[in-house]
Amino acid sequence: MKLPARPAVLLAVMAATACAPQTSANSSSDKDDKTGTLRVWLFQEVGNKPKEKVVDSVVAAFEKAHEGTEVDVEYIPVETRAQRVKAAFNDPASAPDVMEYGNTDTAGHVKDGGLLDVTEEFGDWPEAKDTDPTARQSVTVAGKVYGAPFYVGVRALYYRTDVFEEIGLEVPRTMDELASTARRIRAARPELYGLVVGGAYTYGAMPFVWANGGEIATGKDGSYTSAIDSAAAQKGIKAYTSLFTDDNCPAAKCAGMGGNDTVTAFAAGKAGMAIGGDFSHAAVEAGKVKGKYAVVPLPGVRAGSVAPAFAGGNNIGVLKSTSHRTLAVALMRQLASKKTQASMFGAMGFLPTFSDVRQQVAAKEPYVKPFARTLAAGTRFVPASPAWAQIDSSLVLPTMFQEVISGKKSVAAASKDAAKKMDDAFGTAG
Amino acid sequence: MRSVSFVRRPWRLLAEASALLIAAAVVFPLYWMVLSAFRPAGEIESSTPRPWTSSPSLDSFRRVFEQNEFGRYFLNSLVVACTVVIASALIAFLAATAVTRFRFRFRTTLLIMFLVAQTVPVEALTIPLFFLMRDFGQLNTLGSLILPHIAFSLPFAIWMLRGFVKAVPEALEEAAYMDGASRSRFLWQILFPLVFPGLVATSVFSFISAWNDFLFAKSFIISDTSQSTLPMALLVFYKPDEPDWGGVMAASTVMTIPVLIFFVLVQRRLVSGLGGAVKD
Amino acid sequence: MTAHGRMTAHGRMTAPRPWRRRSTPWLYLAPALVVLGGLLVHPIYQLGLISLFQYTQAQVSGGEPTTFQGLGNYTELFADDQFWQVLLATVVFAAACVVSTLAVGCALAVLLTRVRAVPRLALMLAALGAWATPAVTGSTVWLFLFDPDFGPVNRVLGIGDHSWTYGRFSAFFLVLLEVVWCSFPFVMVTVYAGIRAVPAEVLEAAALDGASQWRIWRSVLAPMLRPILVVVTIQSVIWDFKVFTQIYVMTNGGGIAGQNLVLNVYAYQKAFASSQYGLGSAIGVVMLLILLAVTLVYLRLLRRQGAQL
Repeated sequence: MKLPARPAVLLAVMAATACAPQTSANSSSDKDDKTGTLRVWLFQEVGNKPKEKVVDSVVAAFEKAHEGTEVDVEYIPVETRAQRVKAAFNDPASAPDVMEYGNTDTAGHVKDGGLLDVTEEFGDWPEAKDTDPTARQSVTVAGKVYGAPFYVGVRALYYRTDVFEEIGLEVPRTMDELASTARRIRAARPELYGLVVGGAYTYGAMPFVWANGGEIATGKDGSYTSAIDSAAAQKGIKAYTSLFTDDNCPAAKCAGMGGNDTVTAFAAGKAGMAIGGDFSHAAVEAGKVKGKYAVVPLPGVRAGSVAPAFAGGNNIGVLKSTSHRTLAVALMRQLASKKTQASMFGAMGFLPTFSDVRQQVAAKEPYVKPFARTLAAGTRFVPASPAWAQIDSSLVLPTMFQEVISGKKSVAAASKDAAKKMDDAFGTAG
Repeated sequence: MRSVSFVRRPWRLLAEASALLIAAAVVFPLYWMVLSAFRPAGEIESSTPRPWTSSPSLDSFRRVFEQNEFGRYFLNSLVVACTVVIASALIAFLAATAVTRFRFRFRTTLLIMFLVAQTVPVEALTIPLFFLMRDFGQLNTLGSLILPHIAFSLPFAIWMLRGFVKAVPEALEEAAYMDGASRSRFLWQILFPLVFPGLVATSVFSFISAWNDFLFAKSFIISDTSQSTLPMALLVFYKPDEPDWGGVMAASTVMTIPVLIFFVLVQRRLVSGLGGAVKD
Repeated sequence: MTAHGRMTAHGRMTAPRPWRRRSTPWLYLAPALVVLGGLLVHPIYQLGLISLFQYTQAQVSGGEPTTFQGLGNYTELFADDQFWQVLLATVVFAAACVVSTLAVGCALAVLLTRVRAVPRLALMLAALGAWATPAVTGSTVWLFLFDPDFGPVNRVLGIGDHSWTYGRFSAFFLVLLEVVWCSFPFVMVTVYAGIRAVPAEVLEAAALDGASQWRIWRSVLAPMLRPILVVVTIQSVIWDFKVFTQIYVMTNGGGIAGQNLVLNVYAYQKAFASSQYGLGSAIGVVMLLILLAVTLVYLRLLRRQGAQL
């Protein structure tokens, strides 16, 4: 048998037809159809049914008002949203017209060229003037508006009132007390996690870093330098990761958890405390712990202070590739309107982005108070850089926490590696 | 049974006992899957799982079939798998005939290329394939799943079929031509039936790869859920709330059964087929 | 395919029959070549090309121009400690899978020849069941069997709520079990078919000479089965080196802090999770080259046996 080196021929043929890898011509569509089907992607939340109900009524009204239009809503899982959205940007033909996106993704989506600039339409919208400034900032990139804020999300401390009473515990007032309270719960009730934490729960972990004076990164307007390995940040990382022990939340179980997992565990009555958002309210209410829990702001380092929370939340945007520009913008307004936000609050506990609506609902529903207080105490945001989407989706921070939790690396080493990865990302994408 | 004759009796009994034990161990995961699918709500979450259930229930299956268009996904999967099996079998048959019954330039090169092609990590090609499908407007269609799977199952199919085609004696071909049969008549009416067992054995592999596909469906079916396939439907039960183990197991059962049926049907041919394929 | 054209033109003038014989193979090969060229060779070429470019989401969606980087992605990759760790883990894991699969498969194939029809059918059907199980469902079921809260394994072993997916080695071990479970049937069935093809007189003669079972296997069966063993080994290497679904599903995309990543999943994560398509493609190319090397070894083995392709 002879084995001739013929593949070379093939290589030559391929080289002859060489061309650069493709890019998609993701220009905005010129078409503006006034009828047809609008495709909408919204996030699938923990306990999604009430959300679907509100959306269904908005859609029904919209279809009635615009004859000849149909709205096709799909709920996409939050964990894999990045891949779906990317695919949509890559192939305008399969992209939705309107979609929900996390406010941490705004800069990245704009840089990828996926979102439509709706500055004008947003300005013309009478309701827009009541949008609170933080929320407004979350849809703005370089002075242009790329969507309408949908809700704000902040996290606070959920705790089990029945468990606290039974063991005779006080609500923790500092972070140290939080840790010791958590251990006492686990000691008294070994079947419960004290404070349920997750190694992949970045926004539950960051308050510990911020409360200790640390930052993810420093800088402004695109040029950022990572600061996650600073002494203060390391202190926060240490505080958070030291909660992953057998006397609170065993690493073997908790290291892999994300935010939803911790909320699920709390709602199922498996934890004494959890860090959950206003948006988790409906899910917890639907769980076994209904009527047996309360919420307070997450305590800071000093007694009486509040740990800075992450100013999360989602927006509704229109995709550049839409061929129904007018309709899509109209639908965006309907989905993010005061009326929808008020009913969404009733259904899911999503905090409205309009200051006046928020005040109204806070007056009616006492559970909003701790979240409103957390908001008032000052919130933080992730670096407003397009690189953040990449840092987020390549799991830089969860990896760092998990490396420390599982004892693979020291806090110093893990945070240094994470800082390096982040700087690389800022360098290439920022 | 010939090899049994010279094995001493106690040893044979021991061997048979262990064969049965191993068979039970191998089948246990499948048994557990089916069992969990039939368990009534609540029993799955029990912390003392028993290897049987007192009151089998169809609730999990009901949930699965009430899932949006589950039947449609099932059908889509079936269409994809069957198209891939038939198309790749025919194409591979022709190619295998070419490389075994003819001598021509580049023959060895081609054979080596077919071998090398088997080693290509499919997952890595998802990126370029995505762009290819987009440029041909195939995204969100079943075609975007069928075409790559035909391509990926071909090299192995050709490689395996070679043995079968080779096993058909040359004399038969000569005789056919003597009788005045045309080349295509020989190909389809004489060679094809003879090689058929091999085709069946080969198609097992293309069926599995197409039926199991998860990555392409996830990457290429972006917005048209009516074109989704079963593995995607399975994912629906991994809700962030609480994984619905009953639902997952019921959907898995539904997904596994067609392959099982297929395997049992072709079992005999598979065994003789694999033996034939590697004999050369 | 210029060679073919030339031959055609030449052949037609002299004799009709050689013409048919020469062009027919290409006619038969045409569909396969078209499909493979378009959907395999071309994408591989694209893969290699992308690996030479700075190619992230911004370039893909047209926000920024693509820039040629030469071997930039490769230097970045080789400078990354994680890559070497993942590479090592992949090689060791694949080797463990191959060895276990072959050992289990061959042992059971021999066992099959020693038993009567009923146990043989039982084992054969059980193995076919495992083989038929789709990778996604197989992974899910095994994960469920070893679930710390609801799985039967921990109950039987009495190890409480020990989590199998937390430790690096125990997670790899769990995946290995699943991989062996679903891939030993191929080895078993193939080797069994091979043993059946060995003439009975040879085995009986050896048995009459008083050779032990192990000796019969080593000196009689193994040499006769060598071609088959080479085939199943190489197939196992190719399959196990490319394991994707099992790792992806069972360790949730690569385990705690990426401890259970193997090359295939690593490439996928780089490309699709962090949109570094260039880097992901470079990893894909590295994998391709490694598997190519394995294939070359295979070809050499075949050639040493004097096999005719």
